[in-house]
Amino acid sequence: MRIVDQENDDVLLRQAAKGDEEAFTFLYRRHQAALYRFALRMTGNAWAAEEIVQDVFMTLMRDPRKYDSTRGTLGGFLYGVARNRVMKHLERLPREVPLEEKNEDGSGAGIVLKDPATPATWAEKRERVARVRAAVLELPAEFREAVVLCELEEKSYEEAAQAAGCPIGTIRSRLHRARALLMARLEILRDLPRRATVAK
Amino acid sequence: MKCEEFEAMGLDGGQDASLSEAERAAAAEHVNSCARCAALLSSWQAARMELQALAEATADAQTPGRVEMRLRQEFRTQHKTLKVRRTAVAAAWALAAAAVLIGAVGWVKWRDAQQVAGTNHSNTVTSAGNLSSNGGAAVPNSGTDEFNADDNSVTLVADNESSNFTLLPGVQPSDIDDAEILRVRMQRSALEAFGLPVNEDLANEWIQVDLLVGDDGSPQAVRLLQQE
Repeated sequence: MRIVDQENDDVLLRQAAKGDEEAFTFLYRRHQAALYRFALRMTGNAWAAEEIVQDVFMTLMRDPRKYDSTRGTLGGFLYGVARNRVMKHLERLPREVPLEEKNEDGSGAGIVLKDPATPATWAEKRERVARVRAAVLELPAEFREAVVLCELEEKSYEEAAQAAGCPIGTIRSRLHRARALLMARLEILRDLPRRATVAK
Repeated sequence: MKCEEFEAMGLDGGQDASLSEAERAAAAEHVNSCARCAALLSSWQAARMELQALAEATADAQTPGRVEMRLRQEFRTQHKTLKVRRTAVAAAWALAAAAVLIGAVGWVKWRDAQQVAGTNHSNTVTSAGNLSSNGGAAVPNSGTDEFNADDNSVTLVADNESSNFTLLPGVQPSDIDDAEILRVRMQRSALEAFGLPVNEDLANEWIQVDLLVGDDGSPQAVRLLQQE
């Protein structure tokens, strides 16, 4: 995050704390997408991600003094709050891994593929996304976080370590183990349709 | 480079900035010479492509609009409540301050009144002392209902009625036309100074009298107020 953004965040937060709704809305719009993506990728559940993002901003709204600008950026603070909420959610509902996301109106898939390919390609890609998402969601929370941060959000190891609050070595180690688990799981998931076909 | 080392760092690609160029070159060399690690890398690259597909699929994910609406509603409610609470606190403080102010003003007034009363009391005694030095005689035998018999209280205002006064010896009725009425409190024995007879049993009793004081400041007549 640039210094200008950081200053703006701090100014906006001060204004929001004084009751400026527009400032609060601006802050929300600036940070919600990244937090939502992280929560969605970690939980695999759009409802949970929505709730987590809402909870994060409620925390900020109710007690903006919890954020200390001398200890980091507002984005980092919000990410930390979101991370805690995600971990609590995963602890509470360890087996809640829905494979299909719904839109707000409850119809269709929550993930929209932008690629305007043929239906066959689209179906194949959709299947691949579902497969890898299932594989990611089956990883233990710490490994999943490493994969989400480094592979899906393309953060550097240093950034990921900062976000997760651990040394770089820990991130590297988690990622190494996560990759092994992920490849094994994907291998199994790729073979499942083939085995089903052979069984028939 | 050994296979374990390659697994630990060779799959990292360009993300691990801590890897040196030499380490990257060693990893590349190892994968060219080791079929197992080449297969592993290939497998990882396939997995990575799938991860990228997932990343792309969720790249534009946004929090639903209803969350913003809910948050804004909550924000309004919270700050409205906060405003009301602050107003209530301010009002409570204002009321408390007003009560303290009223109390203070009341106390100051009461204290002033007490001081004035004390001053009048001492004036009365002084007046009585002065009167006792003036001399004269008369028999006061009347009073008014305005007198308060309380020892500590002093009537500050005399009425303007000049009836029931007993002229002091040597005073002509015409001399009291422009006289002022002065109400004083003194011991009964002080009446002797006016040449009036005093019951010695009651000589120490404090009494209230009205004096008619002439232009020259000397008492012309006296009226004994009836004690309640």
